[in-house]
Amino acid sequence: MQLLWDGVTGAVQRLVHGDPLILSAAWRSLWISVMAVCLAAISGMPIGSLLAQKRFIGRSAMLILIRAGMSVPTVLIGLLCYAMLSRRGPLGGLDLLYTPWGIIAGEILLAWPIIVTWTHGAISSLDPRAAETAITLGAGPVRRWRTCLSEARLAIALALLTAFARCFTELGIAMMVGGNIKYRTRTLTTATALETARGEFDRGVAMSLILLFIAVIVTLLIAWLGRQEREA
Amino acid sequence: MLRIRDLSVEKAGSTICLVHDLEMRRGERVAVIGPNGSGKTTLLRVVSGLERGFAGECQTGVPLRDRVYVHQSPYLFRGSVLMNATYGLAARHVPRQQQVSVAHRWLRIFGIDHLAGRRCAHLSRGERRRLALVRAFAIQADMLLLDEPLADLDQEGVETVCRVISTLSRSTILISSPIPLPKPLSMRTYWLADAASNSVTGPESFFCQAGGP
Repeated sequence: MQLLWDGVTGAVQRLVHGDPLILSAAWRSLWISVMAVCLAAISGMPIGSLLAQKRFIGRSAMLILIRAGMSVPTVLIGLLCYAMLSRRGPLGGLDLLYTPWGIIAGEILLAWPIIVTWTHGAISSLDPRAAETAITLGAGPVRRWRTCLSEARLAIALALLTAFARCFTELGIAMMVGGNIKYRTRTLTTATALETARGEFDRGVAMSLILLFIAVIVTLLIAWLGRQEREA
Repeated sequence: MLRIRDLSVEKAGSTICLVHDLEMRRGERVAVIGPNGSGKTTLLRVVSGLERGFAGECQTGVPLRDRVYVHQSPYLFRGSVLMNATYGLAARHVPRQQQVSVAHRWLRIFGIDHLAGRRCAHLSRGERRRLALVRAFAIQADMLLLDEPLADLDQEGVETVCRVISTLSRSTILISSPIPLPKPLSMRTYWLADAASNSVTGPESFFCQAGGP
């Protein structure tokens, strides 16, 4: 118990004084996760909507596969990315191994199934009159799609936030693909694991506190969105 | 302009709409009346192009984008009243300034201009109905397909809708449950009998002209 208490007081001091190692890891974690979610959303949201609105052969098989993709462990994604990006791998020429962009590539694979599955759920649970009204008022396919996304915006925002939380807190991909290089690919989770193993307990706690803080912010954001929705 | 021959729609093994012969000239106004479950809404949905799974012939001679259908219980998009009123105009790439002025004109006609900035979630049923009609009328579609446009409306609202419909020269089909239609709405009336009993009673009784213009 004493260990944890000392850790927390030490952590607060480090946060107050702005430990550069912690801040750089926090900033890196943040932009890597945001970038991964944005890139995954670019293709994930249209594909999720397509799966909800079009009927074609193999659609349900695709849905099941993508849904199963949500439960793939991050170490497996990390391993896969490592194999693809390592010098001898098929994408070795891109030189992405041990770079932040390598981590982003891995986290895209993590976020994509979440975004596709949740977008599909959001669009298919929409009132069918929404799309019909858009059609009958003369909206083209793109406007219709935008309208559907806007009508389902709470569920879509939830999908993006969930994907972000998953990317922000994952360890496997960042460790295996990023390599935990100081000031280059060190993220909050890999740094926490390292510092704890090295006995720098207060630094580990400080970074966990930041992770917790972001998680609380995301939760509050989700709750606030839900309330806006009920009031609107 | 509209020509329907031997139209039938089946859902889950039973016929929910059966129309043997219905014709309509350009600019004509037709009221479809009939008991619940006789397929009035389905008929309108087929004409509007939203219902594709039908057998028989249905020629409208009007492109899809020039037919507008207003649901029996209208769906309003999230956002403001004005956003809903301009939706169809925006879809037609009308310049923004013109969208707003056209929308305001129609909102004024239906007496809900003061609600333009209001969120749709805060509207009453009657106001929602008026807004749905504004949204449909604003785009100047060639063919208006109105499912129970007089429901939820107060006396003044009914008069407004009837006046607007009777002054427009657009082809209009409306569904109405209250059998005595309001006086200013002079239009041809079609009686749509129950889809199930149709098959028993024979083709002559599917539609009988009940009143002239």
